[in-house]
Amino acid sequence: MNNLSRRSFVSFALASTSLLAMPAISTGSARPKVVVVGGGAGGATAARYIAKDSKGAIDVTLIEASKHYYTCFYSNLYLGGFRDYDSIGHSYDNLSANHGVNVVHDWAISVDSSARKVRLGSGATVSYDRLVLSPGIDIKYDSIDGYSVEAQTKMPHAWKSGTQVKVLRDQVLNMPKGGTFAMVPPPNPYRCPPGPYERISMVAHILKEKNPTAKIVVIDPKNKFSKQGLFMAGWEKHYPGMVEWIDNDTHGGIKNVNPETMEIETDLDTFKADVACVVPAQRAGAIAMNAGVTDGDWSPIVPASMQTKADGNIYVLGDASVASAMPKSGFSANSQAKVAANHIRGELTDSRVFPAKFSNTCWSLVATNDGIKVGANYKAGDEKIEVVDKFVSKTDEGNAKRKKTYEESIGWYNGITTDMFS
Amino acid sequence: MVNIIFKFFIAISCLLIFRGLLAEPLLDGADFDYGEYLSGQCVTCHQSSSDEGIPAINGAEALYIAEKLMLYKNKELENEVMQLVASALDKEQIASLAIYFNSLEK
Ligand SMILES: Cc1cc2nc3c(=O)[nH]c(=O)nc-3n(C[C@H](O)[C@H](O)[C@H](O)COP(=O)(O)OP(=O)(O)OC[C@H]3O[C@@H](n4cnc5c(N)ncnc54)[C@H](O)[C@@H]3O)c2cc1C
Repeated sequence: MNNLSRRSFVSFALASTSLLAMPAISTGSARPKVVVVGGGAGGATAARYIAKDSKGAIDVTLIEASKHYYTCFYSNLYLGGFRDYDSIGHSYDNLSANHGVNVVHDWAISVDSSARKVRLGSGATVSYDRLVLSPGIDIKYDSIDGYSVEAQTKMPHAWKSGTQVKVLRDQVLNMPKGGTFAMVPPPNPYRCPPGPYERISMVAHILKEKNPTAKIVVIDPKNKFSKQGLFMAGWEKHYPGMVEWIDNDTHGGIKNVNPETMEIETDLDTFKADVACVVPAQRAGAIAMNAGVTDGDWSPIVPASMQTKADGNIYVLGDASVASAMPKSGFSANSQAKVAANHIRGELTDSRVFPAKFSNTCWSLVATNDGIKVGANYKAGDEKIEVVDKFVSKTDEGNAKRKKTYEESIGWYNGITTDMFS
Repeated sequence: MVNIIFKFFIAISCLLIFRGLLAEPLLDGADFDYGEYLSGQCVTCHQSSSDEGIPAINGAEALYIAEKLMLYKNKELENEVMQLVASALDKEQIASLAIYFNSLEK
């Protein structure tokens, strides 16, 4: 820290208590303003790094609808009984207390990009010099005939942060003996490529213990999936005969779902389920659409900075962005947030801007102490984020290694949530 | 006796000089601010204090960190994630990370 920034940090620290007590909209400071919409893997990280590293030189406001963030990552482990629900919930208190982020719990309703203002649900507006959008996904309810907002209590998708995964767990625990659990994974591209298959593993884990004659049928709109060989070998090893995966070519396409009769109709057959998890197609959160920075369902970005191609003052992170080779994961969103934070600080305070570096690893749990992983690092190409190198777990690597991989994932979970919320 | 002490002294000096020769190039070109930026990639997994699942690295010896990263880079240490991370780091970046993490409180 040089003297100047140390001094401004001290005065900021002294002023921050009174600043924080004021409404978001009237901080009235001459400091450059960054508004971050969405306090998830991308947004919480970006807000924290911009505030922390600028040491008070940038006024950071985080607009997040929920008071607590329940991570989608590890929600499958909650489903499988490996975590309790409270352990995946996180508060925003430290972001304001430790870094002076102005946290506003409200919905961002619209963006006026020429006036550089965000309108909130309360009717208030917040102005920005740079805007970061990390709203995650919206579910395309109409992408599956018969599915709807109302259908989600009967056939939960449980693909967004929140309590749906609790509903799903109760349904699985109360499934009739020897019943059928149906899973409809989403089509590409979607949040967390291995997620549906980890979910199947976790449901199988509960059923093996509590309802061993039950069956799982996976009606996939795809013909292949992430870590497929590893998952399928794991299902055969731990849950022999329980999981049937039907690819799109075999069932010929999903025609509709019926939440009343709990049926899923395909060209091949109509499947009747006792419990069904149906995950429709997805798109960028609505606020990205509203800001005019999307092309189709997602936001194209400039790889070196995560600025949107449409508007240099607006950055889009995480699931909502077109990050090319990078999967839509919490790890990716967190990695992109640091690139954006560094770039934004450079633009607003002339701090040094370093070359973009991205990475991702996705861990999945197949059964007790059987963890697998897939990872890659990436660089910013001119047009796209490009893979530099990658790895994936091996089918024959042995139990000790798998246990270690699972333990490593616990370290990662603690690490990333600390990196977002401490 | 004097002879033994003398030999011991020489041996220690050689060791120190040798280590110094090894050490310096590994930390050459270190840039603290760059290390701080690059550390963002590490702290997605490495926590400041807990060793659960993944070791804490704050406050570790700079040379130790640099040596470990070089070993991962050369695939002489196991762990796919670390091999991947280290393979994308050049010497200057490794040195920068090493001095940055060394500066943090344990
Ligand atoms: C079952 C499952 C398992 C997963 N497992 C993993 C895993 O093991 N590892 C991994 O890396 N990733 C995993 N993921 C993926 C990960 O959860 C997402 O990729 C990640 O959360 C994306 O971060 P984000 O910032 O884009 O969006 P989110 O984390 O979803 O954050 C978006 C936030 O924005 C808020 N928001 C949206 N719109 C507005 C608005 N207009 N106004 C105010 N607030 C708004 C929302 O309330 C939300 O809190 C998993 C996902 C699922 C569903």
